[in-house]
Amino acid sequence: MKKPRILFLVVIALLPLMLISCGLFGGGSVSGGWAGTTFGNGIIYTGTRDGRVVAINASTRSQQWDYIINAAIYTTPIVDGDLVYVGTYSGRLLALNTLARSQNLTFPQKGDGEWEWDCPTDNAKSNAIVANLAMSENALYVASSNGRIYSLDKGTGDENWKREDIPVLAEKLWTSPVIQGDALYVSTFEGHIYALSVETGELLDWSFGSEAGFASSPVIDGDVIYVGSFDRHLYAVEIGDEELIWRFPQEKPAGNWYWASPIVNAGVVYAGCLDGKLYAINGTTGEEIWSYMTKDQQDKRSPIVSSPVLMGNLLIVANEAGTVYVFDVTAENGNEGVPLKTISIDADVKSSFCAYDGLVYVRSEGDSVYAVDIDKGGAAEGWPISLTTEE
Amino acid sequence: MANAWYLIIGNPVLNVLIALSHLLGGEFGWAIIVLTIIIRLISWPLTKRQLKSTKAMQEMQPKIQELQKKYGKNQQKLQQEMMRLYKEAGVNPLGCLWPMLIQFPIWIALYQAIMRALATTPENLLDLAQRLYSWDVVSQAIPLSSYFLGLDLASPGNIILAILVGGTMWVQQKMTQAPAVDPRQESTSRMMLLMMPLMFGFLTFMFPSGLALYWAVSNIIGIVTQYFVTGGWGYLKFSSPFQRTSVKGR
Repeated sequence: MKKPRILFLVVIALLPLMLISCGLFGGGSVSGGWAGTTFGNGIIYTGTRDGRVVAINASTRSQQWDYIINAAIYTTPIVDGDLVYVGTYSGRLLALNTLARSQNLTFPQKGDGEWEWDCPTDNAKSNAIVANLAMSENALYVASSNGRIYSLDKGTGDENWKREDIPVLAEKLWTSPVIQGDALYVSTFEGHIYALSVETGELLDWSFGSEAGFASSPVIDGDVIYVGSFDRHLYAVEIGDEELIWRFPQEKPAGNWYWASPIVNAGVVYAGCLDGKLYAINGTTGEEIWSYMTKDQQDKRSPIVSSPVLMGNLLIVANEAGTVYVFDVTAENGNEGVPLKTISIDADVKSSFCAYDGLVYVRSEGDSVYAVDIDKGGAAEGWPISLTTEE
Repeated sequence: MANAWYLIIGNPVLNVLIALSHLLGGEFGWAIIVLTIIIRLISWPLTKRQLKSTKAMQEMQPKIQELQKKYGKNQQKLQQEMMRLYKEAGVNPLGCLWPMLIQFPIWIALYQAIMRALATTPENLLDLAQRLYSWDVVSQAIPLSSYFLGLDLASPGNIILAILVGGTMWVQQKMTQAPAVDPRQESTSRMMLLMMPLMFGFLTFMFPSGLALYWAVSNIIGIVTQYFVTGGWGYLKFSSPFQRTSVKGR
């Protein structure tokens, strides 16, 4: 009888076909990391998709050192003196000494101030560190995928807070905490903004709740928190008040999420949106001052994934397609939302970037670091630098 | 091709699943269960045809066994006579393949929807932003919790669900699989009866629990509808060794 045999063959064919189809059509878990760039003492620090922290000498355009972590890096390294701090997707926080790493010494060189800290899982699914670190004079604050925030001594990596006092704030925390005075503010995917004591980690009295979750990390200007939401609005919340000051856009929502943290300058909030637009919003009233649609090489809209950066009076924003826009925030034309310059680096950009001395350092998804010369309006000479390791 | 896939199947399944999740109190597991029921309802005309065909096949068994006895040594003649019999009864012996083949793209879309909707990595979450419709119910549901009744719907490796999927599949198959007189056919049938549940059990173990939940619920619905449409447990009664002997001895 042929029927059972045909059925049998169909079933046998089904298994590899399903596995291949699921692989072909995507949908699986991908975690490559999107560490941004940081500038410190003439060196640019970043993380690569193959799990290395890399230091590049900005003047010689040469790689000074790299350190293999073997885990995805989403956090942008932060620099404090000779130490570089970086969190990993494997739940580890490392303090790397630039001199020890230059000499390729065994890690950690405790005499040079190096240390590592493993984030506890605490019965959560993951202890991955995705959010950027916050740094105060003596401490580092780490948001973990286990839903907690930890405070670590910058010099030793010792935990400052009693673990039993640390509250679980969310199912996972992928947004960065922000320090303001004696409090630490954090937004959650569940739609809360919490305030924690920087001394003990305990929850303070005030919190804010929203129906929709918050997609971006908060930014604080004065007493006002600005944060992007999954409901395609940007929220302005006054610390200590349970009522919203404003929600932007006031009527129809934007085309997508405000994923990147906005920046605030002279009472104007500049917010990049995944719908491809950069919005300039009056920080007091929540009214739109101007908006500008960014495009890719084919003149199609491209999402803004990374936060804008200010360099003096210049506002710099890059979209995912690698087009960098420069706006003069003081000039009259800045108020009209007309970019001074548009520079294409023709590479995917999801990472945050830094600006120093007329140059903007951008890491592409292809693991190259570009230096964009704002005056020249193009790539600086000798750049980009590839961070990929040769086989 | 990938764009067309997402436009026609991938993104609609994803958005419906997320919207259902919001409407069902943020429980993604319930959304999967309700979506399973919806899919079973949509595919009901096909299922009904398949079940009717199964019932007709069951009723034809005495005639088939007669033919097997009569032409057991002449396989070519046996095939011809059986095909004639099927044709006369208006039954397609391969008709039961269609519901399975139609579900195939749904499995892939569901696998993708589960992985994308639960956004287990930052890249998944960012990618999700480009696939969502501008429905309020969708934006209010994001991000979803992957936990449902103690299950992590995004993670594979759930042995209980694997056994449940394999077990329910075996029952469903056993209900429709007629015993064969020819020992060769009997051994093929028996191998298939084991292989398919084992394979799906293995797949369940390999894929996220959310997909396993879909398979388990889909199988249970299949068993219940089969029971009522075909009027009983079908050939499941032949599962005991005693009854198998009595059939062979007939």
